[in-house]
Amino acid sequence: MTVPCCICTVLLQYVFNSLSCVVKHVYVLGLVCDLCCSQRWRRAGRAKINDTFSCLFMVAPNPVTLSWMRNWPPTREGGCGGLVMRTPVEPHITECISRNQETFRCWWSPGSFHNLSSPGALRVFYLKKVLPTSEWIECPEYIYSNRECFFDVNHTSIWVPYCLQLRSQNHTYFNEDDCFTVENIVRPDPPVSSNWTLLEISPSGLSYDVMVNWEPPPSADVEMGWMRIEYEIQYRERNTTNWEALEIQPHTQQTIYGLHIGEEYEVHIRCRMQAFTKFGEFSDSIFIQVTEIPSKESTFPLTLVLLFGIVGILIIIMLIVVSQQHRLTLILLPPVPAPKIKGIDPELLKKGKLDELNFILSGGGMGGLPTYSQDYYEGEPWVEFIEIVAEDADTGEKDNQGSDTQRLLSQGISHHMNISFPDDDSGRASCYNPDLPDQDTLMLMATLLPGQPEDREASFNVVERAPAPERGERPLVQTQTGGPQTWVNTDFYAQVSNVMPSGGVVLSPGQQLRVQESTLATEEKTQKKEKKHKWSEDTEDNKQKELQFQLLVVDPEGSGYTTESNAWRISPPPSSPMPGEGYQPIHPQPVETKPAATAEDNQSPYILPDSPQSQFFAPVADYTVVQEVDSQHSLLLNPPPCQSPPPCLPEHPLKAIPAMPVGYITPELLGNLSP
Amino acid sequence: MPGNIRSVSFVVLVCLLFCSRLTSVGATPICTNAHAGCHVLSLSNLFDRVIQHSARMHGISNDLHSEFEQYFLPSRNQIGRVSRNCHTSTILTPNGKENAQKMAREELTEVILKLLVAWRDPLWHFHHSMAHYDDFNNFSSNKALEMSDMVHELRKGVEKVAEKMQVLGITSNTVNSLTSPEALLPSESAEWRLMKDYDLLYCFRRDSNKVQNYLKILKCRIVPEHGC
Repeated sequence: MTVPCCICTVLLQYVFNSLSCVVKHVYVLGLVCDLCCSQRWRRAGRAKINDTFSCLFMVAPNPVTLSWMRNWPPTREGGCGGLVMRTPVEPHITECISRNQETFRCWWSPGSFHNLSSPGALRVFYLKKVLPTSEWIECPEYIYSNRECFFDVNHTSIWVPYCLQLRSQNHTYFNEDDCFTVENIVRPDPPVSSNWTLLEISPSGLSYDVMVNWEPPPSADVEMGWMRIEYEIQYRERNTTNWEALEIQPHTQQTIYGLHIGEEYEVHIRCRMQAFTKFGEFSDSIFIQVTEIPSKESTFPLTLVLLFGIVGILIIIMLIVVSQQHRLTLILLPPVPAPKIKGIDPELLKKGKLDELNFILSGGGMGGLPTYSQDYYEGEPWVEFIEIVAEDADTGEKDNQGSDTQRLLSQGISHHMNISFPDDDSGRASCYNPDLPDQDTLMLMATLLPGQPEDREASFNVVERAPAPERGERPLVQTQTGGPQTWVNTDFYAQVSNVMPSGGVVLSPGQQLRVQESTLATEEKTQKKEKKHKWSEDTEDNKQKELQFQLLVVDPEGSGYTTESNAWRISPPPSSPMPGEGYQPIHPQPVETKPAATAEDNQSPYILPDSPQSQFFAPVADYTVVQEVDSQHSLLLNPPPCQSPPPCLPEHPLKAIPAMPVGYITPELLGNLSP
Repeated sequence: MPGNIRSVSFVVLVCLLFCSRLTSVGATPICTNAHAGCHVLSLSNLFDRVIQHSARMHGISNDLHSEFEQYFLPSRNQIGRVSRNCHTSTILTPNGKENAQKMAREELTEVILKLLVAWRDPLWHFHHSMAHYDDFNNFSSNKALEMSDMVHELRKGVEKVAEKMQVLGITSNTVNSLTSPEALLPSESAEWRLMKDYDLLYCFRRDSNKVQNYLKILKCRIVPEHGC
C-alpha cells in the first residue's frame, strides 16, 4: 500500500546486512521528512516496534534513495534498506512504574507526532475507577523534562484501577491497555549496601564460599510489611556474559557456594514484590575475589618437607643397597661352591690353560700350591687326595705331546706329585675312606683333563662304572685318541688282599659289594653303550676305552686275576680285548703276567645274583695297612679294622665304599719294596 | 568414644525436653477465656500466624490466576471491565497505606472479616467448578481447594484475633456484629455467581492482597514493633 511521503517518518532505522537485509541494529532517529515512502519500496517484513505494528520496507534500487540511505547515520554494514513506519505512532503512555506502592510515575511519548512534543501540547488524564461514575482528572504533577507524570501519595490508590489517556487540543489518545492497578506495576528499587564476607575455603584450597549481605531498598517500607520483597542474586565471572541466578528468596543475605580461588566475580541483586512478577532494577555490582591466602602456605612447606624426607630416605636406602651389594647378595644369595683347587685360579681350570695349571701344580712360581697336608685341607671335604703312581720318565716322554692328559699325568708323575695321604682316621667315619678315589675324585680328575667331550664322557662313564663292579679297583685313566696305546697306566687305588710269598701283592675287591653292584654295572653298561653309540665318532676309541676299563678281580683264594674275563663281560664282545694292554697291577715284582695267565681260568669273581657259581667268599678287606716290610721283602699287613661289610656299605650302591685299611702304600714304601 | 556417646545422648535428651515444650506450645489450643491450664498465646504470635496464613493465601491465588491466564489468555487488559464486576467492590476498603493507618482498628478488623466472609462461598463453588476444566491439572484443583480452606481458616483466625483484642481492651465491642456474615452481605450473595472464573480469580487475588496488607498494618498499630 502506498504511504504518503510526508506522513511517513523514519522513527527507527534498521541497519541491514548488505546481503540478506536482516535487521541488525536499531537506531532511534529523529524525524526525517524527506524520505519517500512510495511504492517503490518493497515490503521486507513486519516488525513490532513499541507495541505498534510497522512495516519494514526495502529500498528499491533507486539511486536517489539509496544514496540518501547511505548518507544517513552511518550504517554498520552498508544497509540495503531502511525502515518506514506504515502507520504513524500516536502519542502514548510509555510506562508507569511504582517504586514503593505508595506513589507512581507515568511517562508518555508523543509518538510520531513531533509537533506535540512541546510541553503542554499533550495533557495526561487519568481515571480512577473507584466509583461507578468517575471522571478523568488531569495529571497532578507534570515533569515535562522527562515527559513524566507523577502521582504522589494523595493521588495514589492501591487496588484501584487507573486508566490514563493523553489529550491534545483536538484529539484524545486512549488505549484500554493502559489501565492498571498500582500493586501490579510495582518495581522495587534495588537493594543497597551489599557486601560480602568469606565463609570458608575448601580443603583443597581451590574454591570458597561467600556470604552476601545487603539492605532492602530504603524506599520500600519493609519493616512495616507494606511491601514484602524477595531478592534474586546473580553472579558471573568478570569477563563472561552469562549470569548465574540463584533462587529467589525473601532474606537479605545469601550464600554463594563454589567460587574459584583467584577469579574475580561480579554480583548484583534485584528484587520484586512477593507474589508479583515485575522485577526492579539491578543493584550496583560488587566484586568478589579471593586470592591464595597465606595460611595455605604454612601447610605447603610441611608437605614439601615430608616429600623431600621420603625421597631422601629412599635415596639412602638405594645407596646402601648399591654399596653393600656384594654383602647383600652373599646374604640373600649364598654362592654355590664351585669346584676349585685351593691355590689355583679357577680361570686356569678352563680350557686351554693347561700350561699354567701344570706350572702351578708343579709347585713353581708364585702361585705354587702350598704343602698339601691334611691339616691344611681339614675343613674341606671335597679335597681328595690323589695318589699318582711314579712312572718312568721314558714313558712319560714318549707320551703324545698332543694329549693333555698324558702330559699332565706324565709331568705329574715325573714331578712326583706330592699328595700326602692322610695317615690317621681321625674325624672320619671308620668305614669311610676318602682316600679312595671315589666318584668325586675321579670326576675331578676327569675335569682336569680337558679333552674331547666324548672322551670326557667316556671317562665319566668309566668313573661311574668304577665303583660298581669292584670296590678295590679303579679304572684306568684313559687317554686321548692315539694310535698306540700310550695311555698312562695309573691305577690310583689298589686293594691289597694278600701278599704273595714272592713279594707280590695280591689285590682283591670286596666281594659282597660286587654281588650287589654287578647287576647295576650291567645295566649301566647297556646305558653307556647307547650313549657311546650316540656321541662317539671314534667308536674304536670308545671300545678301546671300554676294554681299557679293566676290572681287576682277584680271587682271594688264589684264583688270580680275571681281568680279561671281566673285561669281556663289561665291554662289548666284538672287539677283542687286549689283555696285554690291560691292567698292570701295581706291584714291585715282575709278577705280572701271572695274574693275567690265570685270568681266563679263573672263574669270574663277578658273581651274578642268579649265578650258581656265586661264591660268597669270606669278607675280605679291600685295604690292608702295610705295617712294615720284613727282610724278606714281604709285607706285613694289619688286619682290617672293619670286619663286617654291610655296615660299611653306604647307601648309594655306586658309591659303595668297602672297609678299608686306614693307610695305604706310599711311594716311599713302594720304593722300599723294590729290590 | 564413650564420652562422645554420653554427650550426644545428653544433647538428645535436652533436645527432647525442649522440643516437647515447643510442641506442647503448639499443641495447646488457644484459650479464649484464659482458663487455667491453657497456654495463652500472645497477640503478637497470633498476628504472626494470621499474617503468615494470609501471605500463603495470596501466593496461591496469584499462582492460580497466572495459570488461568496462560490457559485461557483473556484479552490483554480487562482491568477496567473486571474491576467493576468484583462482588466485593462494594465493600469499602482503604486504598492506601495511609488510609489504612488512619482507619480505626475495629473498622480495619471489620473490613478484613468482611472480605474473608465474602469469599467463602464463591471459592467453594469455584473449586467445584474447576472439575469442568479439562485443561487444568489436579495440582490447580488442589490449589483451589486449598484456597477455599484457607479463606475459612483465615477468617477464624482473624476472628480470634479480634476476640483477643477485645479481651485485651484494645478494641471496643463493635466487632461482635460480624458473627452473622450472611446478614452482612445479603445482596452480594447472588452477584458472584455471575462472575466468570477468570474474573473471580482476578478479584480474589486482589482481595487477598488487601487482606494481607491490612493485617500487617493492623499488627503494626496494635503490637508496636520497630519500624512501625
